[in-house]
Amino acid sequence: MNLLTLVTFLPLAGALALALLPRDEHGQHRVVTLAFTLLTFALSLGLWFGFDASAGAPEFQFEQRVDWIPSIGIGYHVGLDGVALLLVMLTTALTPIVILSAFRAVEERVKEFMIALLVLETAMIGTFAALDLVLFYVFWELILVPMYLLIGIWGSQNRLYATVKFFVYTFTASVLMLLAIVYIYFHDGGTFDYVQARQALQVTPDHARWLFLAFAVAFAVKVPMFPLHTWLPDAHTEAPTAGSVILAGVLLKMGTFGFFRYALPLFPEAALQYRNVIAVLAVIGILYGALMSLVQTDMKRLVAYSSVSHLGFVMLGLVALSAEGLTGSVYQMLNHGVSTGALFLLVGMLYERRHTRLIAEYGGIAKQVPWIATAFVIVMLSSVGLPGTNGFVGEFLILSGTWLSRLGSAPVFATLGAIGVILGAVYMLILVERVFFGAMRNPANRALRDLSVREGFVLVPMLVLIVVMGVLPGPFLAPAKPAVDRLIARFQQAEARLGTGPQVGTVTPAVAVRAAAEVPAPTLPIVLPTGGAH
Amino acid sequence: MNGFPTNDFVALLPIAILTVGALAVLLSEVFLVSGRRGYQAAITVVFAVAAGAAAVFRPYSGYVFNRQAVVDDFSAFVTVVVCAGLALSALVGAGWLRARNAERGEFYGLALFGTAGMALLGMATDLLVAFIAIEVMSLATYSLAAYLRRGKRPSEAAFKYLVLGAISSALFLYGSALLYGASGSTLFGELAKGRGSPLSLAGLSLVAAGIAFKIAAVPFHAWTPDVYEGAPTPVTAFMAAGVKAAAFALLARIFLSAEAGTAAQATAFSGVISGLAVLTMIFGNLLAVPQRSVKRMLAYSSVAHAGYLLVGVLSASVAGVREKALAGLLFYLAAYAATAIGAFTVVGALERRSRPDDEPADAWDLERFAGLARRRPALAFAMAVFLLSLAGIPPTAGFVGKLYIFQAAIGAQLYGLAILGVLTSAMGVYYYLRVVVYMYMRPAAGEAEPLSSAATSVALAAAVAVVVLLGIVADPVIRLAQAAGAILL
Repeated sequence: MNLLTLVTFLPLAGALALALLPRDEHGQHRVVTLAFTLLTFALSLGLWFGFDASAGAPEFQFEQRVDWIPSIGIGYHVGLDGVALLLVMLTTALTPIVILSAFRAVEERVKEFMIALLVLETAMIGTFAALDLVLFYVFWELILVPMYLLIGIWGSQNRLYATVKFFVYTFTASVLMLLAIVYIYFHDGGTFDYVQARQALQVTPDHARWLFLAFAVAFAVKVPMFPLHTWLPDAHTEAPTAGSVILAGVLLKMGTFGFFRYALPLFPEAALQYRNVIAVLAVIGILYGALMSLVQTDMKRLVAYSSVSHLGFVMLGLVALSAEGLTGSVYQMLNHGVSTGALFLLVGMLYERRHTRLIAEYGGIAKQVPWIATAFVIVMLSSVGLPGTNGFVGEFLILSGTWLSRLGSAPVFATLGAIGVILGAVYMLILVERVFFGAMRNPANRALRDLSVREGFVLVPMLVLIVVMGVLPGPFLAPAKPAVDRLIARFQQAEARLGTGPQVGTVTPAVAVRAAAEVPAPTLPIVLPTGGAH
Repeated sequence: MNGFPTNDFVALLPIAILTVGALAVLLSEVFLVSGRRGYQAAITVVFAVAAGAAAVFRPYSGYVFNRQAVVDDFSAFVTVVVCAGLALSALVGAGWLRARNAERGEFYGLALFGTAGMALLGMATDLLVAFIAIEVMSLATYSLAAYLRRGKRPSEAAFKYLVLGAISSALFLYGSALLYGASGSTLFGELAKGRGSPLSLAGLSLVAAGIAFKIAAVPFHAWTPDVYEGAPTPVTAFMAAGVKAAAFALLARIFLSAEAGTAAQATAFSGVISGLAVLTMIFGNLLAVPQRSVKRMLAYSSVAHAGYLLVGVLSASVAGVREKALAGLLFYLAAYAATAIGAFTVVGALERRSRPDDEPADAWDLERFAGLARRRPALAFAMAVFLLSLAGIPPTAGFVGKLYIFQAAIGAQLYGLAILGVLTSAMGVYYYLRVVVYMYMRPAAGEAEPLSSAATSVALAAAVAVVVLLGIVADPVIRLAQAAGAILL
């Protein structure tokens, strides 16, 4: 059996197994779910170590292609390129952590909760693994159902509003993508297969623009890009901790991954036309998200808006279309998954203790809960991009890649992005200062417990990843390189067809290489994709 | 024309089986002594299955009765769908009626007669045969709607259905007369002869209006919410599945022969149908949004689905995608039939059992669904599956159906209709999910429902299985639909 297929459907098998367990054995539900997700993670390590990141290796590995509904051209076709591999690893690593974090937080309807999380994991892995457009769409939509239930059943007070908004928003944006997929079917020789469609797609530039927009809007809502982000603060805030972590950690990446895998390579010419618009929206998102974070009184909402800001960086790096920018974007997807995931976990832990997310309710609790404070500070430093943490590598690559790119008025975008980094430091530092330091005014905080052993197990992997990815980015960048190179090459073909002169890559590759050499990492030079720099 | 037309009667075998079944049930009623009538549902199921099998393993294919009807894969598919709908509805009806002390043979007999009409409608290739079939189907469903006249609402529903149904029959008949005047024939195959003449367009439009009543297309939908809500719930399920399937089969045959060969240039008749499709998709969904009664919401949803199906009919007139569109139409009808029956069954299971007179006004209110996931997890899960399928969310039959129909529409270059279709179905997500919100996310209200009867549970399990399987392993059914889409005509 194909390893990727096994990894994809093992959580679903776990969900079915769970369905057969008696209803009230909550301990069993938790342990069985944890076992299934850990096993999934263990198997996915096989993908990690089995992946060949050399330039000559096939683009998609662990490929499997069988008929699914052949009569209307739908196949079950899965495979991983480096970027998808990284995101699958992120998913399989994050899910057991989330399950463990929910051991105490969820006491009601534990079985359904665990089933929802397992179905969600299958859908997430499937979204990254799919190489058939309809299969991708099926997994993409399948995500909505468990997420909808997670927010709606186990969320906080305003959950019904948040969950319906989340569902309707994302569903509406996706249906046009489905039509675009069907349109592609009629213009690539009658197949939904992504690889074939990418080669054979024949559409007029005019139609390509519409198709690009249909895909881009679906992905932009998921990212979420300003001004389509309004569902996110509600969904994040109302979701249970596990839901927020998955939402921030993996689901948002489906949007940026969608750009990387579908919207950009399928319609490069159209993407070149719209890249400035996207860059503008990305920068607005960076600044707007940061400014909104500054004024939040609710910790979860603050982290939610910071996601808008962070994902703006990812989008900026993507449309910079330089090797550094793209690599930085991929890296930042992982970073955001780890550090924002960890932030939501920590906020969730505080919430479990005090049942409030209001910043004003806390203050000076560092003395009471030194371990939580330590972890929070490390995660915060990663989130603001301090050198030595993962956040630095990603943001640095994105900003330098944007500055050096051939995007129109690139330095302006990079400068505005850099201002976003500063604002990010401001709101995060203020948050930490208000919550953890100063005098302890609220007597309710005197009884706070510090980390339990279980919570330690939840956080340690995240903290280790933050440091390792900050110091040793090489192994995490390597798999992405071939995919980034291929995307750049595809855009170079497109600009050759358009005949408009070079639009992708960097202006002065030498600077980029020098700049990359300054990344503080012992294994330098970082395996920096240079294929696009010309 | 010498000799006995054996083929004609062999071809009618499924209809004969259904009719014999109806008579058998009615006869059993005469000789019945005991009050227990559980076996009548079983008899109905057996005859429904036999009729479906007779349609599949038919000994004869081709035109019968001087080309006035045809037996082909298309008619077989329709027959199987309506027979399956009948079997499921009969099972549901058994439990529902027993709980109300209203189990009588007439219910099953009428349903069998109605199904015979539906099956005949799937075969008709002549306006007169179609009219007879419509009447056989409709008279049975009028009476079924009035079957349980406890309180005002069912009587009102049945009366409304009868009056408006009669008008629609009149429109159909008048349109047929005009078409005969224009083309000199009542055969569908000859209708194209009169193409272009105002008489023909007027006739076709009237015929389409008559059919639009049956499929509940806007603006001919006004009866639907009242009748669907007022009729006994198993009857509603039967109507939503069967009448719609049969009427769409007829519409597809008429539309295709009227538009035959006019792949590129749309005629005025296409304009009429696409106008109906646009109105139906928009208003069916819009009107469903504010409904608090789930039964009424499902009625409007059935209107909305007629809109998507109309898009399938329209796509079928384009040469390159004709078979895809017809197959999509048939698949969608099958998927919708299973889903709608399932959804109405859950609604029926939640109704408060009869006070002697009326169902209470809030019998189908959303509040009845509050906390259902805790009280009856299996029932709530089944309902959630049906609602997701109605909303077109994978991996359900509804998703594959929508994908198929819109694939045909894009192939036929009906981009506007396809975009309108997916956007309105996104609107549908809102009102379908609201029921899920109540079932899963609201605290329980009211007393727990008594358990459903075994027959109801079997029907529900079958409907869930069909909806999920058609969503995951759709291929065999799609192949059948494709074979059926390559119809003779």
